[in-house]
Amino acid sequence: MAHIHLEDGAFTLFWVAVWSLIAAGIISAALFRQGGNKIPTRKLAIAAMCVAVGFAIFQVEIPVFGGVHINLTPLMGILLGPSLGTLSVLVINIFSAAIGHGGWGMIGANTIVNVVEVFLGYYAYKLLRSGLRLGRFPSGFGSAAIALTVSAFVVVGIVTVSELQDSAQTRDQTFNNMLVLAAANIVTGLVEGVVTGYMVSFIGRIRPDLLEGAEGGGRQGKPTQAPVEAAHV
Amino acid sequence: MSRRSYTRHIPDFRLVTFLAENGRSAAHMMSPWTKGVLLVMVILLVIVLTDLYLLLIMFAVVLTFYIIGRLPIRLLIGWYSLPVLFVVTLSVMFMFTEPGTIIADTRFFGIHIALTDKGVLLFVKLLVRALVVVTFSLAVFMTTKYSYIAHIASRTLPRTLANIFLLSYRFTFETSDEMSDVLDALHARSGNLAKGASKQTRLFAGIFGLAFVHAFERAERIAKAMEARGFSGEFPRYEKLPQPGPGGYCLIALAVLALGAVSYSRYVSNLFGW
Repeated sequence: MAHIHLEDGAFTLFWVAVWSLIAAGIISAALFRQGGNKIPTRKLAIAAMCVAVGFAIFQVEIPVFGGVHINLTPLMGILLGPSLGTLSVLVINIFSAAIGHGGWGMIGANTIVNVVEVFLGYYAYKLLRSGLRLGRFPSGFGSAAIALTVSAFVVVGIVTVSELQDSAQTRDQTFNNMLVLAAANIVTGLVEGVVTGYMVSFIGRIRPDLLEGAEGGGRQGKPTQAPVEAAHV
Repeated sequence: MSRRSYTRHIPDFRLVTFLAENGRSAAHMMSPWTKGVLLVMVILLVIVLTDLYLLLIMFAVVLTFYIIGRLPIRLLIGWYSLPVLFVVTLSVMFMFTEPGTIIADTRFFGIHIALTDKGVLLFVKLLVRALVVVTFSLAVFMTTKYSYIAHIASRTLPRTLANIFLLSYRFTFETSDEMSDVLDALHARSGNLAKGASKQTRLFAGIFGLAFVHAFERAERIAKAMEARGFSGEFPRYEKLPQPGPGGYCLIALAVLALGAVSYSRYVSNLFGW
């Protein structure tokens, strides 16, 4: 997955403020989409539980370049939908910052990266599954691979534009350096894509109702509810 | 306390909560508002400060705070491995391409690679900054009761976000234990995380998939229980949050003053000849 593993002080105050403001705008839109403070208890509990699971999985490091790990944000997008998924990844980033997994000042930038994964995970899955009528595994794999590849380049873009403070490197040099990391993230993203594909197939076998929102109400029709709303109690 | 730690490199949330609830040090007695404001100040200071010596002084100060809180130093060193790993991962590419005086160089597949003094300095600065914030951040969470954190979260975050944050914090204990069980099971079957990612994706998918399905099922049960108990959309606050004392206000004033001075020195006019 893509995650900016930089700690506080890597970006200047200006860029920390820029990314935080953009993230705040996205979060506000997601909160508005969820009805502000009127979120149903069930959605709240599901989002919180997914955060807890996502955070636990997030911390399982795979020793590739020392800094890549599976975070399953595209899957969270598929299961929770884009707006609830957005709120969930923000909370995961807050927890992560508390233990040094990315700085507090990076929460904004990391939320943007993860929101891209959530959105693309959800909409790409929806397109592949409902639009192109592919199976669950190729849809899960494809959506995660697309989401994680794009987000890897979003990371490159954010770090290149922001530049590391104290570094005399030009943006071109920073871009070239970050491409190495993007390559590692994309490779891991493909692995995560396979994991996501299997997971979607697995969940589809035992709780297909959890996928109804992203699958457009199964293969029979269009979605009528958000993913979490669609799940039966 | 925890059955066992999730991993040595990641703080065990049960231990963090245990220390926060049972500690009696001066850091524990400090107002949560004071610690919260100081955390923000520390974050801003490490962003604004560029002088390595001042960053090292900051590290000494936050480490002193950690020690005053009577918190476990040996565990802290283990927990440093995560931020250190991340700094190394990213810096390693910048260290060898940063313009500066060459300290050491070699040829790798015909490509000239040189380690420069500025590259090393960049790495050290990023590392010290990371350790300053991680040390203080962990110290704050290990000296502040859950009820106080809950109070601050519900006062500072939008209600929906605060609720997700507080609920997920509680759920994290269960899910972390479940992940620990899964990892133990994986190792017991001679599995390996590196191999697992590439060769045992189906196994990983089953494990993680089941974790998500369990999460949904638990969440549905919990939601029903919450509604049955009359949950109205906001968690009640039981404990009153202590306001900062005179000492707390002094510390905050000092931090604000320091931030103002270094910001002025960096962005307006060099005050101290740094």
